[in-house]
Amino acid sequence: MTHAISVPVQTPTDIVTARQHGRALASMAGFSSTEATIIAAAISEVARNIVEYATSGEVAIGLTDDGLRTGVHVVARDQGPGMPDLPARTPRLVALAPGLDEFGMGLHGARALMDEFDLDSNPGRGTTVTMTKWLQ
Amino acid sequence: VIDAARKATVKDRGQIIAEPYGRALRAHLARPDEITLQEAQDIGRRASATGLSVSEMTAIHCRTLLPIVDGCPRDERPTMLAESERFLAETIAPFEMSYRGVRDANVSLGRLNAMLEDQAKQIAYVLHDEVTQILATSHLRLAEMAKRLPPPGQSEIGAVRGLLDQIEERVRGLARDLRPTILDDLGLVPALRFLAENASKRWGLSVSVAAFLDRRLPAILETVLYRVTQEALTNVGRHAGASQAQVWVMEKDGVVLCSVRDDGVGFDAAAVAGSGLRGLGLAGIEERVAQLDGTVHIAADRGRGTEIVVEIPVEPRHVDTRTAGR
Repeated sequence: MTHAISVPVQTPTDIVTARQHGRALASMAGFSSTEATIIAAAISEVARNIVEYATSGEVAIGLTDDGLRTGVHVVARDQGPGMPDLPARTPRLVALAPGLDEFGMGLHGARALMDEFDLDSNPGRGTTVTMTKWLQ
Repeated sequence: VIDAARKATVKDRGQIIAEPYGRALRAHLARPDEITLQEAQDIGRRASATGLSVSEMTAIHCRTLLPIVDGCPRDERPTMLAESERFLAETIAPFEMSYRGVRDANVSLGRLNAMLEDQAKQIAYVLHDEVTQILATSHLRLAEMAKRLPPPGQSEIGAVRGLLDQIEERVRGLARDLRPTILDDLGLVPALRFLAENASKRWGLSVSVAAFLDRRLPAILETVLYRVTQEALTNVGRHAGASQAQVWVMEKDGVVLCSVRDDGVGFDAAAVAGSGLRGLGLAGIEERVAQLDGTVHIAADRGRGTEIVVEIPVEPRHVDTRTAGR
């Protein structure tokens, strides 16, 4: 996988920069404008998560392929407080329970939009979100 | 803001979103960039959180856009419309998250259901084949033992064997309810007949079964139809005060229709429809059928019986393409 760019994320402006790169890369790879919007929205969610809960981190965006398809690959990493209870490990049904906070909503939203989503988080050791959208 | 908006009416909610949406769309059209697109997503996220629907959101978009189009020079309109479309797509993205989330949850629910059926099948097998085998052996051993005992002992043993018979009957009944082997071995129609016989034993109902099927249906569909009929007949037996019921199932044009009708007391369908059919044991039916993209219709009238009809496509429309592609 080639990471075309890594965006340091600390402020809301950085969220915009990250999604802009994601959109540009997706369009370049051949994604339609609507799909590029979906990718930008997902990047926006993971970047926002960094700004709101970890204060600083980075979002790396690149192209990848599995031999058959091209995809946009995103790795969002922070050294924030981490989470003891991973949304990725909770059943999707629970994720939709009423009263879900913004935090859960953001990462679950990103997971719903992408084809692959993986979340690694531990209290005190930060959070890493890895996600891919394949060009169909 | 979100809490206040949740409590507001649809009209009010629309107004809360319409104003900032108009401002942001105009800003985007004046100078389109990533910042204005991010603003669109933020508005969409707020709108979605307040419970606004996609169609309400789209209506807001159209109402906002109309005066802008009117005031836009003709030759600039194509660019302007393309930009406004991009803006709308951004606004819809958060709705898309919820929608896809629900769809994923539905797929998970389907898998969970399949897993539960599978477990029920295993438990039923253990009960039916293994437990009853041990019971049968116990019977034989006790019979042997009884031969060597004086008459008072024999009658004691006889009483114990009577208890064993009761256990066996319970165990067989439980195994059947959990998962009738008849469904796996012989298919849907014999399994439905079996349900009909059970209903007549349990509730004294006279149940007829008619089937118009040329082939075995996919296993998941057979299971759902079986469970739906089981649930419906249980309803009839417990609540309808009926003496007769008819079950029919047919496949036509890629759709399976299954109906359970009774001549019982019926109920006020309009009143129940408002309550989402909960409390009548129909929730389970609705959920199973929705799993396979099907629909449930209920025709009921006080004093004129009840008919429940489910309609399910043989090939469900929404397959989880993302996992299917992997």
